[in-house]
Amino acid sequence: MLIKKYILAFLVAGTILSGCSKDFLDQQPTNAIPEQELYKTTGDIETVLNGTWAYMMDTYFTFANPGYSAILRASDAMGSDVAILTSKYGYPASYQFTDLPDRTIRRPEYFWRLLYKVIDNCNNVIAKVDQVTGDEAEKGYLKGQALALRAHCYLTLANFWQFNYRKDPNAKVVPVYTEPSTSTTQGKAKSTATELYTLITTDLEAAVKLLQGYSRASASKHKINANVANGLLARAYLNMGNWQLAAEKAAAAVQSYSLMSGADYAKGFNDVQNVEWIWGHPQIPSQSVASYSFHFLDVSSPASYYYSFMADPYFKELFEASDVRSNLFEWDTLPGREGLLRYKKFIFRSDMTGDIVLMRAAEMYLIEAEGYAEQGLLPEAAAALNKLRTARNATPLVITTQTKDEVVQEIWKERRKELWGEGFSLSDILRTQQSVVRKAYTDASGNPVRVSVPRGDGTFKTVTAKGHTSLKFPDGSAYVPNSPYYLFAIPIVESNNNPNLDK
Amino acid sequence: MLKRIVLALLFFLPVITRAQVRTVTGTVTSARDNTPLPGATVSVKNTSIGGVTDPTGHFSLQVSDPAATTLVVSYVGLQQQEVTITGKPLNIILQAGAKDIDEVVVVAYGTAKRASYTGSVSQIKKEQIQNLQVSSVSKALQGQVPGLQSTSPSGQPGSDATIRIRGIGSINASSAPLYVVDGVPYGGTLSAINPADIESISVLKDASSSALYGSRGANGVIIITTRQGRRNTKGSQIDVRVSRGISKRAVADYSTLGTNDYFELYWEALRNAATTNGQPNPAQSATSTLVERLGINPYGPQYPEPVGTDGKLVTGAKPLWNDNWQKATQRTGQRTEANINISGGSEASRYFISGGYLDDQGMALNSGFKRYNVRANLDLDAKKYLKVGLNLNAAHSIQDGPPSEDSRTDNYIQYGRLMPSFYPIYQRNPDGSFIRDASGNKVLDYGDYRPSAANTSTNLVGTAYLDEHKELRDDISARIYGELTLWKGLKFRSSFNTDFINRNNNDYTNPDYGWDAEIGGTVSRVNRRTLSWTVNNLFTWDATFHEKHHINLLAGQEAYKLNYRTFDGSRQGFVKGGLTEPVAASQLLDFSGLADNYSLSSYLGRATYDYKAKYYFSASLRTDGSSRFSPKNRWGTFWSVGASWQLNKESFLQSAGWVDLLALKASYGAQGNDNLGNYYAYQGLYTIYNNLGEGGAYKTRLPTENLKWETNLNLNAGVDFSILGNRIGGTVEYFRRRSKDLLYQLPLAVSTGFDYIDANIGALRNSGVEVQLNTIPVRLKDFTWGLNLNFTHYKNTVTELPQKEIISGTKKLMVGRSVYDFYIREWAGVNETNGRPQWYKVNADGKKEATTVYANATQVYAGSALPDFYGGVTNTFSYKGLSLSVLLTYSVGGKVLDNDMLLLMHNGASTGRGWSSEMLNRWTPTNTKTDVPAVSTINNSWTSTSTRFLYDATYARLKNVTLTYAIPATLLRRASINSLSVFVQGDNLVTWFGHKGMDPEQSVDGSTYYRYPAIKSLSAGLNLSF
Repeated sequence: MLIKKYILAFLVAGTILSGCSKDFLDQQPTNAIPEQELYKTTGDIETVLNGTWAYMMDTYFTFANPGYSAILRASDAMGSDVAILTSKYGYPASYQFTDLPDRTIRRPEYFWRLLYKVIDNCNNVIAKVDQVTGDEAEKGYLKGQALALRAHCYLTLANFWQFNYRKDPNAKVVPVYTEPSTSTTQGKAKSTATELYTLITTDLEAAVKLLQGYSRASASKHKINANVANGLLARAYLNMGNWQLAAEKAAAAVQSYSLMSGADYAKGFNDVQNVEWIWGHPQIPSQSVASYSFHFLDVSSPASYYYSFMADPYFKELFEASDVRSNLFEWDTLPGREGLLRYKKFIFRSDMTGDIVLMRAAEMYLIEAEGYAEQGLLPEAAAALNKLRTARNATPLVITTQTKDEVVQEIWKERRKELWGEGFSLSDILRTQQSVVRKAYTDASGNPVRVSVPRGDGTFKTVTAKGHTSLKFPDGSAYVPNSPYYLFAIPIVESNNNPNLDK
Repeated sequence: MLKRIVLALLFFLPVITRAQVRTVTGTVTSARDNTPLPGATVSVKNTSIGGVTDPTGHFSLQVSDPAATTLVVSYVGLQQQEVTITGKPLNIILQAGAKDIDEVVVVAYGTAKRASYTGSVSQIKKEQIQNLQVSSVSKALQGQVPGLQSTSPSGQPGSDATIRIRGIGSINASSAPLYVVDGVPYGGTLSAINPADIESISVLKDASSSALYGSRGANGVIIITTRQGRRNTKGSQIDVRVSRGISKRAVADYSTLGTNDYFELYWEALRNAATTNGQPNPAQSATSTLVERLGINPYGPQYPEPVGTDGKLVTGAKPLWNDNWQKATQRTGQRTEANINISGGSEASRYFISGGYLDDQGMALNSGFKRYNVRANLDLDAKKYLKVGLNLNAAHSIQDGPPSEDSRTDNYIQYGRLMPSFYPIYQRNPDGSFIRDASGNKVLDYGDYRPSAANTSTNLVGTAYLDEHKELRDDISARIYGELTLWKGLKFRSSFNTDFINRNNNDYTNPDYGWDAEIGGTVSRVNRRTLSWTVNNLFTWDATFHEKHHINLLAGQEAYKLNYRTFDGSRQGFVKGGLTEPVAASQLLDFSGLADNYSLSSYLGRATYDYKAKYYFSASLRTDGSSRFSPKNRWGTFWSVGASWQLNKESFLQSAGWVDLLALKASYGAQGNDNLGNYYAYQGLYTIYNNLGEGGAYKTRLPTENLKWETNLNLNAGVDFSILGNRIGGTVEYFRRRSKDLLYQLPLAVSTGFDYIDANIGALRNSGVEVQLNTIPVRLKDFTWGLNLNFTHYKNTVTELPQKEIISGTKKLMVGRSVYDFYIREWAGVNETNGRPQWYKVNADGKKEATTVYANATQVYAGSALPDFYGGVTNTFSYKGLSLSVLLTYSVGGKVLDNDMLLLMHNGASTGRGWSSEMLNRWTPTNTKTDVPAVSTINNSWTSTSTRFLYDATYARLKNVTLTYAIPATLLRRASINSLSVFVQGDNLVTWFGHKGMDPEQSVDGSTYYRYPAIKSLSAGLNLSF
């Protein structure tokens, strides 16, 4: 009997102990890849680039901050032509200049975090792509894409976190990292605008070379090709006042792209396949964070939650009646919304997604035009500008006695008209060192303007036209050029944890 | 057994056989509630003869020793009594003692006598648990255990409380205690355990008691032991308990402005904004745009501009409706609970079988918790040398948990709070009359005209019961063991234990009304399955030498593994209303899933020794390997030593008759913590993030190769006493916990691409005193008053950091400060001349200066979220069959940051959102001394975190009142009923708290987060045993 019980004891203990194999304590995640498993092949590099892109475009910080496109929305909310509906969620604080200049608010922190996360991932790709196995040309493409994406992030930082390069090339902007961060990496000091733009242009020039011969599927316009890299270069040179190179790179960027038809202009700016889009981010129902932007931009679909990006009625006055773009204006007819001015440029697709536009041929023609104009090459400038005006059925600019400045002003106005809602408002105000201009929509004697609005049942109602509601900086002062209110703040979490920042 | 003893006596002691055998019978009842006591021990003094009472409290003993004159009757928790044997049936009434001197407590891997135990342990019994109407047992501990801090961050039925034992042991790693159910770490959810099945809950607080759970015991251990039958019962005992009641919110919500005040104040906000904007006629512009901005005119078309240019309501203007959304989105919940159990045992077996049902409705619409429980606990002496046992628990529960504790606009708790009265619940004609549909019914108003801050196009009153936020929970727990007696006192025990949890969440919004009507409704289904098991193999050896030296040794091995798997999917666009399953929605949005694994391997040992039951020593050692760390740093070793001294057994005290118990104890040891919230923290990881059909991953985590266990060094010293005939008893303990190698998310410069890196940094200390005092101020024949108090004070201090300071959110870590010291901007009041909010800015020279720019203000220490002291007071009164128990809990000191109220304190920028009544006191040119700034529709960030919204967290709560009446046993005996009692009980009936509108029970770190408020409930029921 004793034997029996010992046998029993050891059987039980033995069975259980043998169950504990040597690797019992080795566990691996299933939704993440350990670093040492990555960076073996070009396929792995592509994986990192894809993941980085998805992170950048499709990460919710909040519903009002759906990835990178939130930066574009904020830029327009802080400009002159979008009259944010302040009773709606999302961008009233940006519109009133109370969030982005404030280092304690989360929105500038989200943007900061987003851009630097992308930068670090690009740094990893750039540092490691040469060591992986795979086709050399392909490695070059991947490296070019990483360089261009990193440059795009730094260009965004340069755009919004400091005044224009030409105002003070030695101004400290933001820290620059070009190596992958490790466990021991310390926060860096801010670099100057010159250092930043040197890096941006060097990287983009290198990217353009590396991307020669790279071609992408027509539906994959989120992938950076030589056109995109050239377009980014054109933007960078335009910021720097390097007019000749800006015009040159813009012309290179637009190669093999044409301008869309007037009919396409009214199709909702939601389709990456549009002939004019050089760079854009496609959306599908299962990857649709960025589409949330349309809840703010889309002011006409019933399913749009916030429809807060209304147009300033003064903006409407910039257009000729024949211009295809002016057809998009419509006074709101819904109860509680009458008198708001819709600009129906952005419309959800039926599945509640919408592709995000990042770079269009029109912008490149405008950069080309501006580049020529600033060089004093006014007929060339007009030619570039008129390609766009013609496509939009607007009266072409005929050069007669205009000064350079007048032509430049004309181009700036065209940029506002063409690029409304695409994220260029504040960056152009900063770049051109102009002021935000917002006026209450009133007649000459200061009374509200009344407009006759058709209602759903065919009747008309006269209501007060609504324009801007925030006309001063939060401290009550008037809008001025190069105001600190235009700059995005370096978030307090950065200054708290980066003792080197201002060294 | 008795028979065998008698037989043995017959054989060995023939002399006695000649003596007359007497039968001694009687009944044992409890003075507490005058009910019979089953299971009381009755023995003949100075002999081994004895037995236990049956379910009706009866006993019958065969006594042959003529010298036997006295019976000793005892029962856990009651005063032992000696009774002279007479020829007649004895009627023995056991009195309650202030302190149960012989209390047996459940401790790590076994039980111990509390008084002699070297560690610190508190135990609460089933009676204390049963009194409370809680759906999760975690909520039953508040105010009952010294050293234990319990807050219920949610009143949602079926949610758990947050428990902290002896302070905050860690900063980023978990500070939650380890739960052990029936001897092994529990991987299930606490709400799956039926409180009615619980025999006792032990709280292990020091190293000596919990180090044996080494790896996971750093924050204390809570051992839940479920009920078991008794041996040798005559038949089975059946207990039934049913109760029914109602529940409401415990504390009234914030008070908000009515329609008239709102309109006038919002007019002022518009006027002020127009002035700031430099518009020509601000007052006129406010008057003409007011109705347009708010989207509605509750004053009717007669008053198209209800507020005049003077800012006052136009004469005669009266709101045509005043709808109370707060009321409409709340309800009185019904609570029904029924439990039945059958227990008993033979000589070689014990069993306990139970079934339970709970339906606990919440105060929020469509919220509640339903649970169905079954349990079977079985113990068998299979062979003389082999014992086996099986405890099986299965629970199915359904939690209707609509969004709460969330800043979402569809938070069911906030919805009514934030909705002002001028937005009608049902559609109205301009004249205020209801719009009715074809069949004459009122039509819900979904308010597509409302601003965002007033929940455009939604109506919770309409959709609460159409939408679904449901979690189906299935919990199965099994505890199986076999114990072999290998040799005298040498035993081998092997157990296999598994906890299975399945969670199936369904979030559905209907396609016809409300939030997602435009997109045809949405459905998201998430399934989460957790399977964890623990296997242990233990040898124990127990021996006594020369009747003085008692040794108990334990050694063994344990392995634990957890597997977690999820999958989730979502779709939108339902074919038609009424269909709720994903199959009926046309568009696939997402499908995903993942798995996590976590494993622990451990070896452990313990030795206890006592000399003459006076001097006790214990020591333990355990080593754990955790999969959370790299192979190099995986293993941690934890240990403890302890000693106790029973002074009352020393001759010099035995003569002092007034001392019943006096024991000193001390322990020291180290425990570990590996739970930093991430299973793979030491690795550098790229999180998978696919992009448009192509594989993708991006870097989310920097590696920390050297990451290792956090260690908790725990010192405990205390005294246990009972005096004056056991009328006054208690425990006083001092503790000092030192946590080192803290697992912490060390913040990095965000520009490196990472917010933090996991690291072992610094150290912190929790030291404090806890007191438990049990007294019986009055003990008369029929009347007893018991008064129990407990009190805990502790101080939390950071003692070591790798850098001068670490700022994280509203807190800053610095040596010498606590981890929950607020570090926020100091409110400097409203500027008297311009009405702008101000905060203090500390200049380089140290001088304070008020600034109106929030971002320029300086963050300062502003008090701690931790209370100065907290505890509970229990009064019990019993008079004949009537007993009343009153539990009051309190927490004194500490601060709480009210983030919830901020939403109601907007300066006017959140058009259409409700306004706190406090806003009436806003700055105006004639009201300049105020702490509410001028209103405006331009955001002024005044509700940003500052000391303005920091409140004293002191509160007291009447946690529980229970009145029970036990029907006299004499009336029940004929009906073969053992006992029957009826009761009325109330929870959270009264709350004393200074800051109105907020519930004082919030998260431990002192910040509120739009939570589901605590519930007040009242119910009545009966207890029957037969």
